[in-house]
Amino acid sequence: MAAIAELRDLLGSDRVLDDPLERRLYSKDASLMRGDPVCVVFPGDAEQVSAIVRIAARHGLPVIPRGAGTGLTAGASPMTGGIVMSMTGMNTIEIDPDNQAAWVGPGVINLDLSKQARPYGLHFAPDPSSQSACTIGGNLANNSGGPHCLAEGSTTSHVLGLEFVTADGQIHEVGGLAPDQPGLDLRALLVGSEGTLGIATRILVRLLPIADDVRTLLLDFPSVEDAARTVSDVIAAGMVPAALEMMDQRMVMAVENWLGAGLPTDAAAVLLAEVVGSTATVESEASIIAEIGRSNHARNVVIAVESEDRELLWKGRKSAFGAIAQLAPDYYLHDTVVPRTRLVETMAGVYEIADRHDLTMLNVFHAGDGNLHPLIAFDSSDEDVARRVKLAGEEIVDLCLSVGGALSGEHGVGVEKRDLMPSSFSALDLDAQARIKDVFDPDHLLNPAKVLPQGSRCFDFGGVRREVPEGAWV
Amino acid sequence: MTSLSDIETKIEGAPEGVHVAPKTVDDVVRVLRWATESGTPVRVWGGGTRQKLGHPPTPGIVLSTGRLSDIEVWEPDDLTVVAGAGIGVDELESRLGEKSQTAVLPEHPGAATLGGVLATGRASLRRARLLGPRERVLEVTMVTGDGRVVRSGGRVVKNVSGFDLHRAAIGAFGSLGVIVQVCLKLWPVPRASATISNADPESVSRITRPLALLETNDAWQLFAWGTPTDIDEIVAKTEGEGRAGLHWPEDPRGSYRWLLRVPPGRTAEAALRVRPWRFLAIHGSGELRLASEDVEGATDLRGWAEDIGGSLVLVDHPGEDAPLDPWGSPPSTLDLQRRLIAEFDPARIVNPGRLPGGL
Repeated sequence: MAAIAELRDLLGSDRVLDDPLERRLYSKDASLMRGDPVCVVFPGDAEQVSAIVRIAARHGLPVIPRGAGTGLTAGASPMTGGIVMSMTGMNTIEIDPDNQAAWVGPGVINLDLSKQARPYGLHFAPDPSSQSACTIGGNLANNSGGPHCLAEGSTTSHVLGLEFVTADGQIHEVGGLAPDQPGLDLRALLVGSEGTLGIATRILVRLLPIADDVRTLLLDFPSVEDAARTVSDVIAAGMVPAALEMMDQRMVMAVENWLGAGLPTDAAAVLLAEVVGSTATVESEASIIAEIGRSNHARNVVIAVESEDRELLWKGRKSAFGAIAQLAPDYYLHDTVVPRTRLVETMAGVYEIADRHDLTMLNVFHAGDGNLHPLIAFDSSDEDVARRVKLAGEEIVDLCLSVGGALSGEHGVGVEKRDLMPSSFSALDLDAQARIKDVFDPDHLLNPAKVLPQGSRCFDFGGVRREVPEGAWV
Repeated sequence: MTSLSDIETKIEGAPEGVHVAPKTVDDVVRVLRWATESGTPVRVWGGGTRQKLGHPPTPGIVLSTGRLSDIEVWEPDDLTVVAGAGIGVDELESRLGEKSQTAVLPEHPGAATLGGVLATGRASLRRARLLGPRERVLEVTMVTGDGRVVRSGGRVVKNVSGFDLHRAAIGAFGSLGVIVQVCLKLWPVPRASATISNADPESVSRITRPLALLETNDAWQLFAWGTPTDIDEIVAKTEGEGRAGLHWPEDPRGSYRWLLRVPPGRTAEAALRVRPWRFLAIHGSGELRLASEDVEGATDLRGWAEDIGGSLVLVDHPGEDAPLDPWGSPPSTLDLQRRLIAEFDPARIVNPGRLPGGL
C-alpha cells in the first residue's frame, strides 16, 4: 500500500506496524468494539504527526489517535479503518515548579506525571482509576475525571494550554501559563473532543501542591439511602471533600474476596471520603464527616491517618474493576451522571433494571459528583445475555437522562453513546457541535464517526453564505 | 423595526439609537434573525460595566438582557443554579448567600450581570484557589447570531457529552451566541472566614492554597475560609491581624483601567514592574488589575508581558477611541477563530469587530 510506504519513509520501518497480529492488537480499546486499522504508527514529535496527517489526507485514510487504549467507549477503536496513531512515544515531562505547571507529551502516563512532580511538592489532580496505565493525551481527549475531581474538577480544569495538529497538518498552540488569553478559548473545545478536532502533541497542565495532610474515611452503612444522604449532608455542611466515593455490597464483596483490603462485606454500602489540608483542617473535617455519617446510621467509621492505611483503602476502590474478572469474563461499565439529589431514586431504578433483565450488577461510583458507574458482569459468548446487557444499558441511560442527568461524566461518548446524543441534545445543539467539527476537520479525517451521530449537521438558518435551504435536512 | 416595537426600551448609559430588551428567549431569536437579515450590528448590554473593553463597537442596535433575569432552578443540595443572563451578579450572589453558597463570581460587580461577566470573562479574586471564569459554567444556552437556540453542557457537575461550547462562550463577547441562560456550579461557603492584614510575607508563603492572597500598592491581604479551627490556626501562623469575614478590596480606580496577565510565577515581578500605577495583584493566578491616569509606559509593559506569554488588555478609557490596540498582538489561531465565529454568526452582527484581531 502506497500510504504505508510513505509512512515508512517518514518514520522508519520499526515505527509503522502492519502485520495482522499487530493490527489486531490495536484494533480496539477497552470497550467491546473492534475495528481494523491498515497500520499503526508511532510518531516522535509534532512535525511527524503533521506529516502523517498530510499523508493520510492524501490517501483519504482516517487517523485514529490512541493513548494507552484504556478508553471504554471505542474512542480509540478504528471503526472506520485507517491509521491508528499511538502517541505513547511522545512522553517527555518538563516540570515548571515556579509556575506550578508542566509541559508533557500526550503519551505520558498519568501516574508518572504525579510521581515526577512529587519532589517539587506538586501533583496532577485528575486521577482516573486507570491512572497507572492511561495517558495524559487520553485524559485530555476524554476530559477524564477520577475520584479527586470532586473538589478539583476534571482534566479540562487542569489543561492550561496545548499544541495540536489539525486535519490539514497545521501545528497550532493555544492557551499558556498566563490566564485568560485574549480571543476565543479554543482549548475549551479541544479538551474532551476525543481526538476528533485535533491531535494534541504537547500539553501544558496545571500542577497542584500536595496537601499538607490527608485523612481518608471509610464509613459503612446498612442502606444505600443512608450513604447517599450522608453525601448530601456533607455538602450541605459547607464542605467539598477531596473525594466522596461509594461502593455497594456486591462490589465490596468482589473487591474484598480479591484484595482483602479489610472492607466490611456485610454493609449495604460503604462510603470512602477524603479530606485534605492542614492537620487542623483535616482533623476537624474528618470528625464532622464522621459525625454526619453516624447521624445517618453509619455502623462504623474508620479514619485512616497513615499513608499505608489510606493507600490500602484506595487500592480497594481503584481495583474494583479488576476484581470483576473473578465473577465473569466480561463486564460492561456504564458512566452516567445524575443530580446528586436524585441519587437514591436513580440507584433504586438501576437495580430494578438489572433484576428485571436477570443480570449481575455491581456499583462503584463517584457519589459526590452524582457520577454513576453501574457495572454488569457477564459472558459475552452468550448471545442472549449480551442482548440483555445492551438493553439494560440503554434503559439505565434513559433513566438517568429522565431525572435530568447527562450521558457521560468522564468516559466520553466515542461510538458507544454517539447515537444516544439526540436523547440529550436537540437537533440544533448537535448541529452546532457538528459545525465545530467541520471548522477543525472539514473532511472528517480525524477519528471520524465518533461523538456525533451521522446527520448531526442538519439545520441551516439565516441563509447567509449557505447553499442549503432553510430548515432542510441533509 | 415594527416587529420589535413590543420590546423596545431605553437603556440608561447606552448610546443613542434603538434599544431592545427581550422578555423571552424567543424574543432574542426574533431580534437576532432580524439583525442577520438586515445586516444590523447588535451590541449586547448587561450592566454596561465593560462596554469599553475591546475594539469599539460598530453602531447598531443595543440588546439588553436585563429582562431575562429569573432564577429558574436552584438546587442547593446539588450545588447548581440555573439563572437568566440578565440577573445582577450582586443579586444572584446575595440570594445564594441566604443558603451559604456562592457562584464565585466577581466580588465587586457593580451593575454587572451574570451574562456580562461570563461573556467578557471577568474573574473572581478567588481564582487562584477556585479557578477562572470558565470554571463557573456547567451549561449555557445561547442564541447564535443567526437566531438558533443552542445549548451546551448539562445541569450536572460533571459531564463530557459533546464539545464544551459552553466553556468556549466564556470571554467570547457573544460571537458564538448571546448567552441567555446559564447553569452555574456552586460552592458551599464554609462557616468561618477571615481577612488577614499585615501578615508576615514569609509565613504567608507557607499557607498552602489560601482562598486568596492579594497585593495592592500598599498592602498584602490573605483571605481564608474553612472551619473555625482552621481560621484560628491560619491567623496564628501568619502573625497578622485577622478580621472575621471576607473584606474584598475594590479594583484600582483611574482614567485607564487594565488587565495584566502573566505566568503565575511572575506575579510578584509584575507587581514591582507596574508601579507607580495602581494595582491589585492576585497571587498564584497571574492576573493583575491596573489603573493609570495616562498610557505612558503601556507599550513597554505590554511588550514585556507578551514576551513572557502574557497580555496587557485595556479595560476602560475616558475617550471614544482607545489610544492603543485594546488587546495587543492578535492570537496565532485567528483564522480558526474567524471560521468558528462564521458558523455561529454568519452575518457577523453580534458585537462585530470587538475581539482581538478585529474579529
